[in-house]
Amino acid sequence: MNSDFILPDTVSPIALPANEVNSNSQVRFKSEEGRLMLILPAEAAPPSTSSWSDIWQQLKQRLNGGDRFWQPNTTVDLIASDRLLDGRQLQAIADALAEVQLLLKRVSTSRRQTAVAAATAGYSVEQTYVAPNQTLTSSSVPLAEPLYLQMTVRSGIEIRHSGTVIVLGDLNPGGIVVANGDILIWGRLRGVAHAGADGNSKCLIMALHMEPTQLRIADYVARAPTTQLTQVYPEIAHVTPEGIRISIAADFSKSQFLSQP
Amino acid sequence: MTRIIVTTSGKGGVGKTTTTANLGMALARLGRKVALVDADFGLRNLDLLLGLENRIVYTALEVLAGECRLEQALVKDKREPGLVLLPAAQNRNKEAVSPDQIQELVSALTDLYDYIVIDCPAGIEMGFKNAIAGAKEALIVTTPEIAAVRDADRVVGLLEAQGIKNIHLIVNRLRPTMVQVNDMMSVQDVQEILAIPLIGVVPEDERVIVSTNRGEPLVLAESPSLAGKAFDNIARRLEGQTVEFIDLYPTPDNFLSRLRKLLSSII
Repeated sequence: MNSDFILPDTVSPIALPANEVNSNSQVRFKSEEGRLMLILPAEAAPPSTSSWSDIWQQLKQRLNGGDRFWQPNTTVDLIASDRLLDGRQLQAIADALAEVQLLLKRVSTSRRQTAVAAATAGYSVEQTYVAPNQTLTSSSVPLAEPLYLQMTVRSGIEIRHSGTVIVLGDLNPGGIVVANGDILIWGRLRGVAHAGADGNSKCLIMALHMEPTQLRIADYVARAPTTQLTQVYPEIAHVTPEGIRISIAADFSKSQFLSQP
Repeated sequence: MTRIIVTTSGKGGVGKTTTTANLGMALARLGRKVALVDADFGLRNLDLLLGLENRIVYTALEVLAGECRLEQALVKDKREPGLVLLPAAQNRNKEAVSPDQIQELVSALTDLYDYIVIDCPAGIEMGFKNAIAGAKEALIVTTPEIAAVRDADRVVGLLEAQGIKNIHLIVNRLRPTMVQVNDMMSVQDVQEILAIPLIGVVPEDERVIVSTNRGEPLVLAESPSLAGKAFDNIARRLEGQTVEFIDLYPTPDNFLSRLRKLLSSII
């Protein structure tokens, strides 16, 4: 197989934060049967994602990243699950949504205080009850729908998603994308990408310009060769028995096909 | 319409305060009314660079505490009547003020001045959050070094998340000779990562040190330096003028280049 080799000695089972990407770990939008839902991560999520300022930043990133696709005057259901929100925070969410002409209409929560705050602010409220231990489901969760973002993933930004992530823009050094599915960077990949984060080593990382700090697929880790690139092609990183390898994208499907017995 | 601009970088020592002082002075010389706000509580420097240290009576903290009026705290520049400085307190730290309070100060200055330029402290903690609270635009100052660019990138992300979308880039302390031999990142390399529009390139200049020590911004110098000229150009670009970027890579003046110049001027 004519692959660009990534140094084989780097394929080491570094202790990765396994299964951290549960389906609710970051703010996300989901449309289902014609309604747009804004889903906040549960309070039980990893501490790195649970503070209000993190939630706020993730929301702004998602809104900016999907800028072109928001239809004016779409109503939004906020799925707050067990997250505690006060009136000011609800107002901040509504204002952020209003900036892209989305309307906050309904709030679904399992917390009494959040329900009271939402009702006071004039949203229709749906009280839910969390079934105990619901979060401890086995790892066989189906992938979420792909997350499409048009943005530069800058240093310090961390995108986590329980499906495939597509970024139209660069992944800069210091930025990280973690996906349970594939990662496609339509731009320069210079940061850290982790595909198949819940253990699926068949996942791929694709980029127009592959210059990663580090690539991770499932439990495999690799860093890029230290030699400077002379020519740049769109490339695809995948797991082989020898570890993570990079192939030229144009040859990838062919080589996969030819290597089949 | 008052333009409220924050000068920020993430990393320290890249030239935020120097940039703020020079841009403020240059804008004032263009006939604008400019208020410079030092948001670096506890480590204020802007007054030193402007040579206004010995005129400070009250600071932003006394204004917020209601111990004096805002006009009393504003230090007027003797050289340029259009320029004032709102000094930070030196005897406190960043936690002494909140973003709401800075916003309050900035809105009190709005409409009285054409430009409010806020000098942001290094870092992304409380001091940064304070400094960007009232801002509508940002100037990112970076040097052509990986660490500075990485931090600038982080700051751009934070600004965007705060809804500050009007962001321009200043590449400071560029050494053209080092860029030419590939020992330093070029402006293009920096721009490729940060992906924000460029508003100025300031070359490395020893006279910056002299001007800092004397408290006389470079743009005031009798014989203009290249760096001073670069700051002046940035001020003009902020004003909406189209100013050519200074050619920092002059071609050696030999017979061929003169002939080429002559030919192109004829054509």
